[in-house]
Amino acid sequence: MLKWYEINGPESDVVISSRIRLARNLEQYLFSAKLDDETAKAMVDEVKEITPTLSQAGTRKFYACNISTLNDIDKTAMVERHIVSPLLAEKDQPTGLILSEDETISIMINEEDHIRIQAIVGGMNLEEAYEEAEKIDDIAYEKLHFAYDEKYGYLTSCPTNAGTGLRASCMVFLPALSSARLIHKLMEEVAKYGMTIRGIYGEGTKSLGSIYQISNQKTLGSSEREIIDSLNRIVQQVVKQERKRREYMLSVNSEEIEDQVYRSYGILKFARQISSDDAMTLLSQLKFGADSGVIKFDRAFNIHKLMMGVQPGSLQWSLGKNVGSLTRDQSRAEYIRKELPTII
Amino acid sequence: MLCDRCHKRDAKVLYTEIINGLKKEQHLCEECAADYTSFQMEKPLLNSDLTLGGLLSTLLENYYTAGATKGAGTIKPDMICHRCKTSYQEFLRNGRFGCADCYRSFGNELGKTFKGIQGAEMHTGKRPKGLVTEVDRVMKGLSEIEKLSLKLQEAIEKEEFEEAARLRDLIKEMKKEESSNA
Repeated sequence: MLKWYEINGPESDVVISSRIRLARNLEQYLFSAKLDDETAKAMVDEVKEITPTLSQAGTRKFYACNISTLNDIDKTAMVERHIVSPLLAEKDQPTGLILSEDETISIMINEEDHIRIQAIVGGMNLEEAYEEAEKIDDIAYEKLHFAYDEKYGYLTSCPTNAGTGLRASCMVFLPALSSARLIHKLMEEVAKYGMTIRGIYGEGTKSLGSIYQISNQKTLGSSEREIIDSLNRIVQQVVKQERKRREYMLSVNSEEIEDQVYRSYGILKFARQISSDDAMTLLSQLKFGADSGVIKFDRAFNIHKLMMGVQPGSLQWSLGKNVGSLTRDQSRAEYIRKELPTII
Repeated sequence: MLCDRCHKRDAKVLYTEIINGLKKEQHLCEECAADYTSFQMEKPLLNSDLTLGGLLSTLLENYYTAGATKGAGTIKPDMICHRCKTSYQEFLRNGRFGCADCYRSFGNELGKTFKGIQGAEMHTGKRPKGLVTEVDRVMKGLSEIEKLSLKLQEAIEKEEFEEAARLRDLIKEMKKEESSNA
């Protein structure tokens, strides 16, 4: 079964992935911050029991694990691949994870809320992501008693999530808008519609390789449909603007861009050591070149998969051990050399 | 090892200074290091001060103090959730509820808070499938005419006047029938 980042979805020149997150809490337990370790463990165990039901109900297989028992490399790799949030990876309390084999669906247990259902699909496809998440929500509700109120909807630990508990987001690749220094303007624009633009790993993180996340801010007062529709409209606008900017850049600067893209390819193909930030910047140049037809390869390949593969955690995870930064830079260069296709 | 400057906290940073060829090494704690040098301890992925939650608590607190100084706020400072013992003050400070019952315990003030941060105070989205609530139970106990009256009210609120007229006539007819039956 292919993973979401191995499939190029709709509008994949700009939209890398679409993600839905639903926050849910169990009525009979206090919220996460007020739980003692023993009760937290009981809650995590209770939620994990739905795993076989999930596997039976759909076409995917689900696996459950305890985050606290994983080593640091595994945790970092999972954060880099957006399977778990940085918060869950760092939490001292008992926490858990239910994950589908294709990594499309992950259920974080005892993050800020008892349950965070997350569905990621490739490209611009919030509807499908929502459908997947809702299916899990409905199955889970048959087994677990969610805290729900007629007035405030699904009750969450933080008031910014109450109501639908829905955070819809698109991961977007904006090399042209960011090189034109238009991201700040875009942030202001998007904020007017109750949406927000953040770094690649969400709240409080920086942007890497011109990748950003656009998501809804308000969760109460609009239905799930309305939230998704308005995010869709905003992202479509961003896609349009980014494409327009790319066209403009290519029309005025095509020779320089071509030079830059080929240089990036050269470094990626022949470097003997490379840091992850450098790799991200160069890969993002390469993606831009490939999407706009400046550079062509002998086979289809997914740059986003490579972008995840070069992250420190994922790299060490595939090496199977913790290594120092020099060895890491060397094996990163080797990994990229191996994965990069030939130019035609 | 204790910090060379404050002699209180654990030293976590070795700070080497070379001034005019004179080397000086100091073991400092995070606080003194931040104070004395340009050094800043940073967590790579989770910068908790910058999170939405951090901003939120400032927002909530501002909201609360603004209301209190105006004298408009009717917030009782001693509102405490009966189940998890979180006080309303604590909620404002941390921006986090302690349990599901906090939503009920903090009463009407909460509606205003939600209006402030979400721009709304009423959920209009999904309900859990097969959920039977108090409202459902009450609705079930209502007579046909009472249910129609509620629908009429709703139609008027939505300014669907044709539907409202239809419902009004229907209710009138049913009432007539009822009285003739009696």
